[in-house]
Amino acid sequence: MMSIAARRGAISSCLQFTKPMVNASVLSRLVKDFVPPASATGIRLAHTDIKVPDFSDYRRPEVQDPNKSSQDSSEARKVFSYLVTGATTVVTVYAAKTVVSQFVSSMSASADVLALSKIEVKLSDIPEGKNMTFKWRGKPLFVRHRTEKEIATEEGVNLGELRDPEHDKDRVQNPKWVIVLGVCTHLGCVPIANAGDYGGYYCPCHGSHYDASGRIRKGPAPLNLEVPFYEFADEDTVIVG
Amino acid sequence: MALAKTVYSLLFRRTSTFAVTIMVGAVFFERVFDQGGDAVFEQLNRGKLWDHIKHKYEVKEE
Repeated sequence: MMSIAARRGAISSCLQFTKPMVNASVLSRLVKDFVPPASATGIRLAHTDIKVPDFSDYRRPEVQDPNKSSQDSSEARKVFSYLVTGATTVVTVYAAKTVVSQFVSSMSASADVLALSKIEVKLSDIPEGKNMTFKWRGKPLFVRHRTEKEIATEEGVNLGELRDPEHDKDRVQNPKWVIVLGVCTHLGCVPIANAGDYGGYYCPCHGSHYDASGRIRKGPAPLNLEVPFYEFADEDTVIVG
Repeated sequence: MALAKTVYSLLFRRTSTFAVTIMVGAVFFERVFDQGGDAVFEQLNRGKLWDHIKHKYEVKEE
């Protein structure tokens, strides 16, 4: 629409200069009108005082010569570029890995805390039928040397009459040794060993009775005494923690 | 230049192999950098570290 109007109308000569697609006749007229005849060797639509910048300071030496093919040196230039990129990335990956691993390891327990987390118990010090208390991670730890009679009694208990049914087999590694935390599951008192109706532990605070396997039998406590992780290092030593 | 050409076409040309190269390179760089750093530290502190004076205090088991 615009071009038709421009071609027909009175303002056509003005509009034609501003149209982006300048055809040859318009161009020649423009040249005739505005360019002085003395400099009529070429048409420079840009301002002639713009200097083309010299980038040769930034160019690699291989491509300084405009008459030489750049293909011959392309391989070497790419190797250099990628080598620099790769080396930088390698160092960055190393630095990032170091930062992350240092940060993560700063959150793990320190050596003095780890040293306290395990306790070694010499079993030959505990006579049969006796219970010994140790301090482990700030809590009392019961190690009980059971008699044959106690073992037989606990293994024969009917699971149906237990509040927190757990077989004696699942609570001990070696039936001679019962290792439990000495914290009553009711309100956290320390039970008394070899007391109570079932011959195991008795909590004096509210009267919970545990049997010789540390299982709750009577009283307000809801759960059996907790069995910590332990392993027998040899016949005479057990490591708890 | 032949080596550079091989390195480029085998390792750098594809993004996948370039990434693998960087990862493997980082593993080796870590070893070299860490052990080099330790070696420099021990060189600067020669005679002061436990490892250097340990033999004076260790009782030989006969």
